[in-house]
Amino acid sequence: MAAKDSPLKQFEIIPYSKTEVGSYDISFTNSSLSMVITVAVITLFLTLTVNPRSLVPTRMQLISELMYNFIAQLLSDTVGDNGKKYFPFVFSIFMFVLIGNMVGMVPYQFTFTSHIIVTFALASVVFIGVTILGFVNHGIKFFTFFYIPGVPFYMHPLLIPIEVISYLSRPISLSVRLFANMLAGHTLLKVFAGFVVAMPFFTGALPLVFIVALTGLEILIAFLQAYVFAILTCLYINDAYHLH
Amino acid sequence: MPQLNPEFFVSQLFWLVVTFSFLLIFLWRISLPRISNVLKKRERKISEDLTAAKELQLEAEKIQESIENKLKQARSDASEMIKNSSITLQDKVQAELAKVDKELDVKINKSEETIEKSKNQSLSKIEEQINEITKLTLSKVAEFEVTEDEIKSAIKSSERSIN
Repeated sequence: MAAKDSPLKQFEIIPYSKTEVGSYDISFTNSSLSMVITVAVITLFLTLTVNPRSLVPTRMQLISELMYNFIAQLLSDTVGDNGKKYFPFVFSIFMFVLIGNMVGMVPYQFTFTSHIIVTFALASVVFIGVTILGFVNHGIKFFTFFYIPGVPFYMHPLLIPIEVISYLSRPISLSVRLFANMLAGHTLLKVFAGFVVAMPFFTGALPLVFIVALTGLEILIAFLQAYVFAILTCLYINDAYHLH
Repeated sequence: MPQLNPEFFVSQLFWLVVTFSFLLIFLWRISLPRISNVLKKRERKISEDLTAAKELQLEAEKIQESIENKLKQARSDASEMIKNSSITLQDKVQAELAKVDKELDVKINKSEETIEKSKNQSLSKIEEQINEITKLTLSKVAEFEVTEDEIKSAIKSSERSIN
C-alpha cells in the first residue's frame, strides 16, 4: 500500500505556521486547531444553553444539566463529600476527552486523543495531582498504600513491588487505553474505507455498511473512554483519601 | 506511526496546556457555577412549593374540622332550641288555660250571684204581691180592711203551720 493511502496518514500532524520560542517549536497545527475547536464547543455550549437560567429548562439547558449531574453523581458515588473540590477538574477532563473524541468523529477532523503524548500528558496531570494529594492528606504514611494488610508476612516482598509497579503504571494504562482505542477505531474505519474504494463493482457496499456500523460503535467508544477516564480519575482521587 | 514522531511533541503539549487550562478555568469560574445556581434555584423552588403545599393542606384540614365542629354545634343548638320552645309553648298554653279557667270561674260566680239576687228579688216581690192580692181580695170580697202588718203575720203563721 502506498504511503499516501496509509490508514495512519490521518494521524499526521500538519503545522499551519512555524512558531518557535527559543529552541522549542510551538507551531499551531491541525492538532492544536482540534483542541481549540473542542474547547470552543464545550465553553460555548455550556455557557449559551444555560444562559436563560430558566427554572424549567429548555432541551439544550437540560443536556448541560444532565452532564453536570452525571459527573457530580459519579464523583459523589466514588469519592463522597471530599470530591466536591475536584468537580471542576474531573468535569473538564471528561468534557475535554469526550468532545475531543466526538470532534475526531467528524470527517477530515483531527483526533488529538489518538496521540499518546496528549493522553499521557492528561494522565500525568491526574497521576501527579493525585500523588501530591495523597502526600498532603497522609504525609509519609501515604507509603502504607503499598502495604496490604491481612496478608502473610512472607508475601510482602512480592506484593509491595507489585503494588508499586501497578501504582506507577497508572498514567501509562490510563493514557494508553484512550490512545489505543482512538487509534484502533480510526484506523479500522480508514481500512474499511480503503476496501470500499478497492473492491470491484457493487461489492464495495458491504464494507460501507460496516463503516456505518463502526461509526456508531466509535461514537459509543468515544463516550465510553471519556467515562472511563473520568471514573478512573475519581477512583484515584478516592485512593488519595482512603488508604487500604 | 506519526504518534511516535517527537517532532511536534512540544507543540502538542504547549497547545494542550493552553487549551485545557483555559477550559478548566472557564468551566470552574463561569459555566459550572451558572449550572449549579440554576439547579440550586430549582431545588429551592421545589422544596418551597412542597412546604407551601403542605401548609395549605394543613390549613384546609383545619378549616374542614372547624366546619364540621360548627355544623355539629349548629345541630345541637337547633335541637336545644326546639326542645326549649316546645317546653315554653306548653307552659304558655297551660298558663293561658289556667287564666281562662279563672276568668270563667269569676264569670260563673258573678252570674250565680246575679241569679240568686234576682231570684230573691222576685221572691220578695211575690210576697209583696201576695200581700197586695190578699188585701185587695179581702177588701173587695169581705169589705174587710186589714193593715199590711196583720196580713204579713197571718201569712207567716200560715206558713208556719204548713211547715
